[in-house]
Amino acid sequence: MIPAFSPFLALRYLLRRPIMLIGVFGVTFAVWSLLVVDGIFTGFVTEIRADVRRSTPDVLVTDLPHDTSYERLRAVIAADPAVRATAPRLRHQGILQPRPAPRGSSSPTIGTNAVNFEDMTMDSGFALLLGVDPLREPEVTPLGEWLDRSVEVLHAHSITRARRSEVLEDPDPDRRSFLLTADHVEWDMRRIFDLPRPERVEDHRSEWPGMIAGWRRLTSLKLIEQGYPIDLMTASFDVAGDGSAQVNTRRIPMAFGGYFATSHRMFDQSMVLVPIETLRTLLGHDIEDDEAIDIVTDVAVAMQPGLSAGELSAAKSRIRTAVASEIGDECAVIDWREQNSVFLRAIAQEHSMMQFVLFVVMIVAAFVIYATLHMMVVQKWKDIGILAAIGGTRRGIGAVFVFCGLVVGSVGATIGSVLGWLSVHYLNDINDWFHRTTGASLFPRHLFDLPVIPVHLELSWVIQVALGAVLLALLVALLPARKAARMEPVAALSYE
Amino acid sequence: MTSPVLTARCVHKSYRLGKTEIPVLRGVDLEVQSGEIVALLGASGAGKSTLLHVLGLLDPPSEGEILYDGRSVHGLSIRERARLRHDHTGFVFQFYHLIPELTALQNVLLAGMMTDSVLRYWSRRQEAKKAATALLERVGLGDRLKHRPAELSGGERQRVAIARALLAEPRVILADEPTGNLDSNTAEGVIELMFELQRERDAAFVLVTHDEGLAVRANRIIRLRDGVVVG
Ligand SMILES: Nc1ncnc2c1ncn2[C@@H]1O[C@H](COP(=O)(O)OP(=O)(O)OP(=O)(O)O)[C@@H](O)[C@H]1O
Ligand SMILES: [Mg+2]
Repeated sequence: MIPAFSPFLALRYLLRRPIMLIGVFGVTFAVWSLLVVDGIFTGFVTEIRADVRRSTPDVLVTDLPHDTSYERLRAVIAADPAVRATAPRLRHQGILQPRPAPRGSSSPTIGTNAVNFEDMTMDSGFALLLGVDPLREPEVTPLGEWLDRSVEVLHAHSITRARRSEVLEDPDPDRRSFLLTADHVEWDMRRIFDLPRPERVEDHRSEWPGMIAGWRRLTSLKLIEQGYPIDLMTASFDVAGDGSAQVNTRRIPMAFGGYFATSHRMFDQSMVLVPIETLRTLLGHDIEDDEAIDIVTDVAVAMQPGLSAGELSAAKSRIRTAVASEIGDECAVIDWREQNSVFLRAIAQEHSMMQFVLFVVMIVAAFVIYATLHMMVVQKWKDIGILAAIGGTRRGIGAVFVFCGLVVGSVGATIGSVLGWLSVHYLNDINDWFHRTTGASLFPRHLFDLPVIPVHLELSWVIQVALGAVLLALLVALLPARKAARMEPVAALSYE
Repeated sequence: MTSPVLTARCVHKSYRLGKTEIPVLRGVDLEVQSGEIVALLGASGAGKSTLLHVLGLLDPPSEGEILYDGRSVHGLSIRERARLRHDHTGFVFQFYHLIPELTALQNVLLAGMMTDSVLRYWSRRQEAKKAATALLERVGLGDRLKHRPAELSGGERQRVAIARALLAEPRVILADEPTGNLDSNTAEGVIELMFELQRERDAAFVLVTHDEGLAVRANRIIRLRDGVVVG
């Protein structure tokens, strides 16, 4: 039983001791910072994971031998009951070179200063080419969403002329599979660049295969206008008749077909989507050639929705076995996490590092409480003797100081939680207001693709942090309380 | 005859300083009857305060035993002893020993919160407040309820301490030079008040003092010398 005098006296002690506010403030700050920083960080992590997820198919069959044909694999993989769809992928490297604008014409490119991202320095035309089948790819990756997103992102960066790519909307599947721009668009470009074209626009059929670039390539391409002519160059080794290696460069005119954005930074920075047939042709597997095969480097796989982790891993090993027996060679079957494992692990590690740092802030706050309570026990030594003389039990006397810690911890945790919750909730408003009044930005916009700072704060986490803080305060209060409970009444009474 | 409210039997008390034992009490025998005023005299350092602390269960004797109403307190748990200290005895000290953060009223009320749980006290807080206020009015501080010790004179502080000691209606009041810090006029007032209250409540009263003039007003005088009771 806790006697009534313990909380009574604890409150009076606290009210007459402004110094205890330091403890309250410490806990408030610790809880607040834990919630805010973690809220922002978790927001970012959630966002980044979503970005990574968006840019990655459920499962990728990769590490395939050269000259693997897609048709053979497709049948094998699609036979698995856990598989919903497959799409071929062909990876290669290339160099992009927009045609220089003709002299005297008003250039359809945009000025350099329109784009101001100091962190994007990819100025070479070098690109990772991802050959996709535009007819199959939307089955395994949210291509449409990528296109929608690019418009949002570019608009957020004040590039208002950006329009959603139209190359995936052509009703003719043959034209769509080459990402062709509309006939009149290409004809118009040919006119601007004075390239061969029929007299009348109605007689023209588009020929340039389209490409969709990651939006971060905007800085090097400086293109907005869809249909703008771009040359793509690739190089590969061929084996010559005498067995020596021969460098084989090829070049093909293409049309700029717009931007995509997954918001996965590395992906948006390096990748350019091109029609897989175009890439095959460049690599010497011409579609017209009877001996050519539909080569792939990877197969992207969409799984049935709602698979458990166990089902997914079982499906992965089934696919691996099936593909291996089909091609007579090993291959890798990796899910979206494994495809980005290094990146995701780095983020997780940073998250726990940061939580640790914040935990240290909490420990410091707890130490402040300990120090102030300890000081209070020493100051109140005589009172402790008085309490004993008028019949206070040891437990009741100790409880006075436990209550002090409890009150300081609870008040601090409550204020901190409320402030933290509000700060996270209104973070974007606070940031806007700060930007308007001071001109400086708490969270620089150009770091993000989207106009809002992502935050994620769960009530359960708030409660956990608050309870943790109270518990910690209670814990550190136990030591001074024990000291108080152990005093000798007579010694305490005669204490000067 | 009823048993004495307070009995000390062959009480020894010594303090250990390093390796040497300092004997302070060397076999004190004492009986205090209900309603009796006992004056405890002795030279400075004779062990008067020590005896009072032992009698009030603040300090355990090295040897011998203490009896309340004829029952030995030996072998009681710490908690039972605290309870007994609260119910049976009330202390008044030379240096008042009030809690500076609390008002006069709160200082007195505090003595009523020692044995009740929070809920129990809450349910009877009005009565407790009434009782404490009445006591403070009785000691002449009806208009000083909200004053903190720092805002009270020495005499007033000691009156608050007396009210606090009396709240639990103890059988014995143990007072250690209650007027030692007061000028003679004030001291006279405080002593008068204590005697009055003692008569009203029929409590026993053990009064440690240096003042022979004060001692003669007691029913009985006990002198301590070299740790034993003489005369
Ligand atoms: N904690 C202690 N440790 C060692 N010696 C102590 C302790 N407390 C008291 N003493 C000694 O015991 C003796 C008696 O002290 P006590 O306070 O009882 O004297 P007193 O009769 O009350 O004197 P005074 O009239 O001056 O108050 C003193 O000699 C003192 O030095
Ligand atoms: Mg003394």
